[in-house]
Amino acid sequence: MTTENQNPPAVLIDQVSKWYGQIIGINDLSLAIDGGVTGILGPNGAGKSTLFKLMMGRIKPSQGSVRLFGVDPWTNTSPYRRVGYVSESEKLYEWMTALDFVTTLARLHGMTREEATERSAHVLEFVGLSDVMHKELGKFSKGMRQRVKIAHALVHDPDLIILDEPLHGCDPLARTSIMSVIREMGKQGKTILVSSHILEEIERITEQIVILHNGRLLALGNLHAIRDLLDKHPHRILINCEDPRSLASLFISEDPVFGVRFPRDGQLEIQTNNLSAAHSVLPSIVVKSNQKITSIENPDDNLDSLLGYLIKEGN
Amino acid sequence: MDRKGRELSETVWTRMDRKAAAIIELTMRQLRHRISTWVVLGVGVLLMVLLLAFYVDSVRESFDPIDNDGDSFDEDGDGYPMGQERKYGTPDWDAEQYPGASVFVPESDIDWNDRDRSMYGNKSWEGTAFFEASWIDYDYTGNWWDSHVDWNQQGGEPELTDCSDWELEEILYTNACDFGDGDGDGLTTYFVSGKWKGEGTATVPDSYYLSWGHWTERTYIEPDPPEMYINEDGIDCFDGLILRGVDWEESRVDCPSEFRLSGSHGFDNDGDCLSLNEGNGDDDNRNGIECDVQWFATNGVVTGIEADYLVDEDPDEQEYIGELGHRTFVIAVGKMAFVILLGLFIPMFLSLGLVRDETENGTLHLLLSKPIHRAEFIIYRLIGYLAISGSYVIALSLVVGLISSILGPGEGIIRLADLPVWIGIGAATVLVLAAYGSMFNAMGLISPKYGVYLCIVFGIWEFMMGSFSILNPNWSIASVSISHWALQMIDAVVLLAWPDTIQWAEMDSAFEIDSGLSVFWQPPVHTLGTASAGVALLNSLLVLLVVTVAWIFIAKSVFSRREIM
Repeated sequence: MTTENQNPPAVLIDQVSKWYGQIIGINDLSLAIDGGVTGILGPNGAGKSTLFKLMMGRIKPSQGSVRLFGVDPWTNTSPYRRVGYVSESEKLYEWMTALDFVTTLARLHGMTREEATERSAHVLEFVGLSDVMHKELGKFSKGMRQRVKIAHALVHDPDLIILDEPLHGCDPLARTSIMSVIREMGKQGKTILVSSHILEEIERITEQIVILHNGRLLALGNLHAIRDLLDKHPHRILINCEDPRSLASLFISEDPVFGVRFPRDGQLEIQTNNLSAAHSVLPSIVVKSNQKITSIENPDDNLDSLLGYLIKEGN
Repeated sequence: MDRKGRELSETVWTRMDRKAAAIIELTMRQLRHRISTWVVLGVGVLLMVLLLAFYVDSVRESFDPIDNDGDSFDEDGDGYPMGQERKYGTPDWDAEQYPGASVFVPESDIDWNDRDRSMYGNKSWEGTAFFEASWIDYDYTGNWWDSHVDWNQQGGEPELTDCSDWELEEILYTNACDFGDGDGDGLTTYFVSGKWKGEGTATVPDSYYLSWGHWTERTYIEPDPPEMYINEDGIDCFDGLILRGVDWEESRVDCPSEFRLSGSHGFDNDGDCLSLNEGNGDDDNRNGIECDVQWFATNGVVTGIEADYLVDEDPDEQEYIGELGHRTFVIAVGKMAFVILLGLFIPMFLSLGLVRDETENGTLHLLLSKPIHRAEFIIYRLIGYLAISGSYVIALSLVVGLISSILGPGEGIIRLADLPVWIGIGAATVLVLAAYGSMFNAMGLISPKYGVYLCIVFGIWEFMMGSFSILNPNWSIASVSISHWALQMIDAVVLLAWPDTIQWAEMDSAFEIDSGLSVFWQPPVHTLGTASAGVALLNSLLVLLVVTVAWIFIAKSVFSRREIM
């Protein structure tokens, strides 16, 4: 974990705090990330973007040190040769075509025009935009714009890729496509940081997560380990069906279920201590009940309840 | 070293040319996509078209020549201008006497001492004599003050008093009396006093006087056009050299500096001075050269101009007002339109948001996540802005220069000597664009919100100081402005390209031509005591560059410390 290391980690955050006047953005955060896809998870205002801005040299830490490949990004922009950054900002040069845009930014890495054009076309194909790359960005949908931003961050074949809310505001099709792109990059052995405030999104991309809350590091590690912890605390499953009572009778005998409620007409709430076990028995019971199920919801299986649990555990 | 074996330090500042090209290109394309760019550049073109229209108008109108000494006028109405009458020696107050009119040629006389007091012939006589006439020209009359004898002719014979009633002494001048045919030869003898014409024998009494001669045949002499006597003399050293035996065409090429201010200038082009004193001309100003104009100058300032009689001491309007007007136009347009107006407004519209707008548009993150130093970024943006505004200004100055040099006075189709001046104007404006550009860009960065007001305050300051610098470049406070140094640069370039501009400016004020040259142009001030235009040029150049670099440095310091949200 020393900067003298011949191969310093891609990201090294050492006791970093950042406050804006009275407001604390990041509070005494220490983190080292090198290799693999890491999800940065946290509700809005948790400090995800602040953390990324610190890494991108946009802002200066109030305390502590930030190092990208062992170099302070506030004073030296050289790490960006190896970093691709997808910011949360939606603003692009609307009058440019996608190819033009990515090429122009690629040239800022010192590529020749030809080299930049070639690689931009390649990377646009990688993100699935090769058929619209001669269209103006102003005519692009949100998902397409996100993919253009990812393309520009990938064009110089970076070792570290930072994506700030890449799925934000995208339609499901675009989400799937972007997620597969991120997973693909992870397979190529790059260090990838993806932020999101939606647990499910991160879950579909990676297992390695960092959870931020109020500028603090709340949890760090494998999502499944954390989820296992989460599963142990009571969960609810909401099922909308024709006859909740008969369905409840089938569930009550199952081991992971410790209680049922009927919060509304046509709705059944199952209470469980083991969410995954409950989900594993759920399909067979549904089949057995021979009822028409309109929806199954997990109101507790989200970041808020995870955070609530983690905060409670911490206390 | 990273995994690919690259030195990190190599990757930021290396390949600067490619990165620079990319950002410069991006900046230019961004500016091209903004309407305000086209509006401000279009207004600049309109301004120049307007100024050129004024110039064309003044070229057509204002070169009307003025007759400074009035010798183009035909005072006596005989059809010949005064100058031509002077050359032929005919009076300009007498319509009867004009070039080519018949002239009295005196032949001889009988005075008080002559023994032989008789003369026969067909003559024009003047004096007092007994005249035995075989023929008298009764039509030879004139005004009473001309002393013509009044023959009182009624029908054939004159009706004169009988001389017997008169004492000879009582015969009045311009009178005659009749003695009758005393000797019976059929010829009447008259006693005549005055002017008359006739054939016969004139006998002059003792102590009287008679002269005679004849009138020449009248010849037709083409009257000169009056214009010939208007621009009779272009006062310049070229003319002066003719008197020194230097060839005209050759001497027109350049005006030797020693003749520029003090010395003998001018030449009596129409010859009315040279015709005086039996062809020796006049040397009223006693400088040993006939028919010239003597200039007196102290320390490069014309203090006096003395012309010989009938040498027009005023310049040739056609040539002088044309040349002065042209130079004034070039200098005024260069200073006011290019340096002050375009120089201020283009940066105000194009450079204020060069970096700031990227922050406001939220597109800065795209550029700053690349391995580029923020200072690099500022410099490349400025170069991109200069590439557009600078090439625009240079193209505009060359086009305006070309058009005005075709329209302007001079022998060639275009005035090649104008070219360096226009290049200088273009270069001064580009430097001003660089200096204001870096300054306004810095202000946009220092205060993204109120930078525009700062720029307006600075713009007003620059405008005022620029105007003061035009009127009085010696005023030291004005040198605390960018425009002052750019204007100085133009002054220096003008002096280098047209070295005789000092002379023109002096003549402009000496002759009260009021072309405005001495208002818009004065010799450069910052010569470090050398009075050399080259030193002034370098000096101004250096100041403008230092100011530009200083503002880039200020912008860089502000921008490097700025946290970008």
